[in-house]
Amino acid sequence: MIKYIKNTSKILILPAIGLSVLFSCSDLEVEETDSLLVANFEGIETAEEAASSVTAMYNQINGYIGNQADLFALSEVTTDELLVPTRGSDWGDNGIWRQLHQHTWTPDHSYITNVWNQWNELQLTASEVLDSRSASSEASRADAAFLRALGMYVILDNYGQVPYRDTTADPLDDPAVLTGNEAVDFIVADLETAISTLPATTPDGETVMASKSAARYLLAKVMLNKHIFNGSGTADAADMNRVVSLVDEINGDGFGLVAGYFDIFKADTDQETIFWVKTSVGNRIWNGLHYNLTTPDQAGGWNGFSTLAEFYDIFEGDANSNVEGGDQEERRGYVPSAGKPAGIDGTTDKDADGLADGSNIGFGFLIGQQFAPNGDELTDRGTSPLNFTRDFTNATNGEKSLVENSEVTGIRVIKYHPQYGEFAEHEIFFRYSDAHLMKAEAIMRSGGDPTTLVNELRVLRGAEPLATVTEQDLLDERGRELYAEFWRRNDMIRFGQYTKDWEFKDPSAIGDTNKQLFPIPATQIILNPNLVQNPGY
Amino acid sequence: MPGYRFHNQVETYGAGVNIRIRGANSIRSNNNPLFVVDGVPLSGESTTPSGGDIVNGGNATKNPLSFINPSDIESISILKDASATAIYGSRGANGVVIVTTKSGKAGAGGNWEFNSTFSVSSPADEYDLFDGPEFISRSASLRSQEIADGLDFGQNTDWQDYITRNTASQNQNLAYSNNYGSGNVRATFSYGKQFGVIQKSSQERITGRVNIAQRFLDDKLRINFQSTLSRVNDEAPPISGASGSSGNLIGAAYAANPTWPSSSTFSIDGNLVNPANYLANWQSETHTDRFLTNLSAEYDLTEELTAKISVGYDRSDAQAITVISPGVRNFDRVVDNGQAAFNTLEATSKLLEATLNYKKEFTNSSIDAIVGFTFQDFQRQGINSQGWGTSLNNLDRIGQELKQSIYDLRYSINTPYQQFGYDADDSFVNSLNPFNDAGTLGTKSNSFRSAWGDAFDNTDELQSFFGRINYSLNSKYLFTVTLRADGSSRFGTNNKYGYFPSGAFAWQLGDEDFIGDAFSTLKLRVSAGSTGNQEGLGYANYLKRVRYSKPTIDNDGSINRPGTETVAVQNSDLKWESTTDYNLGIDFGFADDRFNGSIDLYRRETKDLLFRQPAAAPAFDPFKFTNLEDGTLINQGVELGLNYDFIQSDDVTFSTSFNIAYNDNTVEGLKGATADFGVLNGPGLTGAFAQRLGEGRSLFSYYMATYSEDADGNPNFNADDKDFVDEDAVPDITTGLALNLTVKNWDVSAFFTGQFGFSVYNNTANAFLNAAAFQTSRNVTPEALELQSSEVSTLYLEKGDFVRMQNASIGYNVPLSGKGALNSLRLSLTGQNLFLITDYSGLDPEVSSSTSSDGDFTGGIPSQGIDYTSFPRPRTFTLGINARF
Repeated sequence: MIKYIKNTSKILILPAIGLSVLFSCSDLEVEETDSLLVANFEGIETAEEAASSVTAMYNQINGYIGNQADLFALSEVTTDELLVPTRGSDWGDNGIWRQLHQHTWTPDHSYITNVWNQWNELQLTASEVLDSRSASSEASRADAAFLRALGMYVILDNYGQVPYRDTTADPLDDPAVLTGNEAVDFIVADLETAISTLPATTPDGETVMASKSAARYLLAKVMLNKHIFNGSGTADAADMNRVVSLVDEINGDGFGLVAGYFDIFKADTDQETIFWVKTSVGNRIWNGLHYNLTTPDQAGGWNGFSTLAEFYDIFEGDANSNVEGGDQEERRGYVPSAGKPAGIDGTTDKDADGLADGSNIGFGFLIGQQFAPNGDELTDRGTSPLNFTRDFTNATNGEKSLVENSEVTGIRVIKYHPQYGEFAEHEIFFRYSDAHLMKAEAIMRSGGDPTTLVNELRVLRGAEPLATVTEQDLLDERGRELYAEFWRRNDMIRFGQYTKDWEFKDPSAIGDTNKQLFPIPATQIILNPNLVQNPGY
Repeated sequence: MPGYRFHNQVETYGAGVNIRIRGANSIRSNNNPLFVVDGVPLSGESTTPSGGDIVNGGNATKNPLSFINPSDIESISILKDASATAIYGSRGANGVVIVTTKSGKAGAGGNWEFNSTFSVSSPADEYDLFDGPEFISRSASLRSQEIADGLDFGQNTDWQDYITRNTASQNQNLAYSNNYGSGNVRATFSYGKQFGVIQKSSQERITGRVNIAQRFLDDKLRINFQSTLSRVNDEAPPISGASGSSGNLIGAAYAANPTWPSSSTFSIDGNLVNPANYLANWQSETHTDRFLTNLSAEYDLTEELTAKISVGYDRSDAQAITVISPGVRNFDRVVDNGQAAFNTLEATSKLLEATLNYKKEFTNSSIDAIVGFTFQDFQRQGINSQGWGTSLNNLDRIGQELKQSIYDLRYSINTPYQQFGYDADDSFVNSLNPFNDAGTLGTKSNSFRSAWGDAFDNTDELQSFFGRINYSLNSKYLFTVTLRADGSSRFGTNNKYGYFPSGAFAWQLGDEDFIGDAFSTLKLRVSAGSTGNQEGLGYANYLKRVRYSKPTIDNDGSINRPGTETVAVQNSDLKWESTTDYNLGIDFGFADDRFNGSIDLYRRETKDLLFRQPAAAPAFDPFKFTNLEDGTLINQGVELGLNYDFIQSDDVTFSTSFNIAYNDNTVEGLKGATADFGVLNGPGLTGAFAQRLGEGRSLFSYYMATYSEDADGNPNFNADDKDFVDEDAVPDITTGLALNLTVKNWDVSAFFTGQFGFSVYNNTANAFLNAAAFQTSRNVTPEALELQSSEVSTLYLEKGDFVRMQNASIGYNVPLSGKGALNSLRLSLTGQNLFLITDYSGLDPEVSSSTSSDGDFTGGIPSQGIDYTSFPRPRTFTLGINARF
């Protein structure tokens, strides 16, 4: 028996090894267990997959817009409208906030890199859906055309150059770079497609998705800024006429101005809202609120973002207070002296104290003493009054400073209100009053008189009508109406005021028109030789 | 052993091993060596899922070796140079750690062995934070009386003390071994439970192991069988190194106002976390079952020719449940809602290895040649899931409810799916193959207002063909040549295989007449060779892959149905990273090797560096995997090891060993490729980093502003003016000293380690322990008030040089008559981490925490030298008893 095993084992073991090697020999290819494998992209294969890409793009925008960093920071904190002082060690964040407000950013600033990556990615995903080989439905193509235009618009506005990747080319090829009129024409072509193919949504419809009106609004933005994008410096009359007709078309779809300024920012539909984003408005609320301004869900505040007194002063009203019933206009809001009785539409009373939760927190601009629901004067985390100041001062030496601030420096800005739900997912991106002011501006830039249009809005907002409207008036009006809505940088550039001096701006940046474009992220210049770094960086 | 650093955190609470052999050889991979347990190479990836990231960063995965009972380990040997590691192939590029478990060889006639240890641990060091009255009086004097009054809650709580503890741990081990001539067997069973010095950290381990060796057919057929079955239960506190502005539990304990009551229901508004509340409402538990087995048969076909075939199977099944209950405060949407994560990971690896070995002795020479084939696959599948919005308060109950809910939801879906989820309004089921993004769930869980699950299933494969020839001439000249072809499924068709040759020559100089008798040993070794590396690259990153993006629960509890996204892009050119190694060594010994040692010079060049480089926009991902074409990572150094037996008498022996290694690490040929890493976390440090990849610099080079002060001692520097500061996180010199003394039945040993020439960034101080932090009502130490700037700067960069008494032990072998049941009895007392000599101001400069997390801006470069709320290294005393019978 043993001998038998001995002989056969010798005979068996070699073939056994051979066979086992043969059978286990692998081609080392991966299988579709975890993800769909696309060896060479030749278009999206099914309409369902293309539609899923569109879903993914809308989801992506949620994050891009909801964030307090990235695009919001580049659009607002780089202006006179917002700044983030360092309080103790809070909000130091390695200087990223200060650099934006002071105009001392460098090509490795992380928000500059993030915005570049995010909105370019949107373009590429959209391009796959739009690829002629893709099985995308007409509806998916319409959405993708709008989203690609939006992505490219953001890149053009912020960087002046738009890398474009052709999805039919080798993925390793260097993307082409579009600038000036070439870039504008590309965006316009997509928007014309979008306008003709997107649904004509009315204000009570699904304005969270792109519509003809959203595409028209974006096209109006592009036309209004075209003379900045192409460097001509002078608005073309035909472009301005187009802005006017586009805004009229939006109005024709049922959008228009509505009264009740802060109600617009509630999480419901209204005639003003052309396009909103399903993202939490929490960041817009918590960024400025002090820790002791307790919100209904106790999620904030973070005691960071504030505005400059010089911006606050463009509003009518007392410079040192913003109390309820004061002489300020509606849009500056007010600081209530106590909470409001429960029962206000859309509010809660979780603690059953008879007061609407969060109703002690003011609207618009918070300056001076802040109050508890029962009317007690709030204190900071010590026992000092919670009294927001106009000035930013070093807590130790009292000198004006962007660093070492106390908890109470700076006027706070709050537009979305916590009593209507700090977790509400409803942030407005395109709003009719912006379109209305774009129309006014287009009329002004083509030699007409915008006074009637501007006053129409002002009267609706409870502000005194203006006798005449200058360029400065129009920029200020846009600031008053659209503060903290992503447009301040774009507006200031178009009105030539982005390079002016404001508090804490670095002296070297004053008058430096190079700052009107952000630098291309340093690594991108190396990775794509078609890009040329913007002047001054 | 010189030239390697072994950070073993088992002593803390069973997390993370961090081993560097001859420096870091790769930018991306974790640079850990390959672990081979009884011939089975372990997967380089963790076998436990990470705790879900609910708030404040996910928890790190656990030590891959934790399934082995230390009492079962016979030996650990380390292979360093390319020729030695060549036989382990591609995965040995960072060196190989060979773990051999005990066999029954020594158990002639059958005997039992019982080991028992009992240990007590306490934190070796702590910060000297202000107590309640001091905190208030300092607040009054440095801020204002009003502020101090507002801060005073009237209690006096030592928060460091609150979250730490002195622990008692135990380990029991029973082994039977028998050597019966034609074979041997060893079986062990062990149980251990260790408690970490931070509350809610522990590891329980139950292992059974059997090793069987049997010889048949006049010893011509040899069968070896090894098998381990283990259950490891880990419990982890909320101490993620990636935690953001609220800090983790440790950060919260440093910062917490000492006048707060130590009540778990106390909280104040804002971002200051009450550690008691955080701890009471948190639970993270991981259970891992692992089965590792290896069967090999070796047969002598002829005198010269031996065939061997071995199969290995390694399967681990792990579940991690992390829970935050609704009572938690200061964490956004989780407050009053509660959230839990349930992650599973089933990791299966199969190994087949077949070799033919030819050995022949000639008159003056011998040859030993081997050819072989190995195949190993690594499948990882499982599901990550989360549930939000529960009214339950019991931590165990919430976890079990989520687990049950996820099982129920999975069971209710009868199509293949990648993910599913529901919120108050809708539900979704997304399937990839066949594609369907319109599915819905038929049911929801009553316990959670929203929940999602996202499955993964991927398999990596490695396949190699190799041959090696050893030729020995006159027993003096030894030649080795190896050639391997390594294939990996992580590369595209054109580059799946890399070819890696190596060669070595050794010369027994001591046997040459011209050397004479002065040396008892003198051997010269020269080797050169290359090995491939594909670790750190991840699954199938060479072709475009599309899957649904990960679901997220928004602040209002809603979940948007995810769409598809491209998760990897086409790159057919992706290929093996290769390390070429040159080694020159001399082994020497005098007086019958009573004094012996070795000296080695080496240079390692890693080329085609696998790098997650920023991608040219527009791109689906800001990063893409590439080989840095001209990038080279160079490690070069010298290692010296010396052993001397001072006393060798019948009653007394005294011996020492000493090793020291110098390593220099440089990156070249970047051609402008750059990356920021060394992520800093904590309040006021969002997006901050401390290190950058720099041409001609060490891999972990610090990049930051240089701090300076004016004449009044106030900070006077531009925090935005950043540059390389000529410091790095990789030690230049590592050293160790062991002393062993025996006197009759007594033995005493001590082991010291030291590392020199590196810097540590004190992220803990930058985040929490500085004057500005005090201004935000956080507690600090007296020294912290001197730190006037909270900017990232060299103010927080410190020399990390240290010497540690790693352990010292005393043992006594009880004299036995030999007539009783006991064959031997040994008692021992061991102390670990007995003292630390360093100028570093933090708790410990030997940093093993990681501050980077998935999806941050570093592109996956691991962190090194960033000390952020590190787990306090304990001091441990262990009493052991070992009996054989």
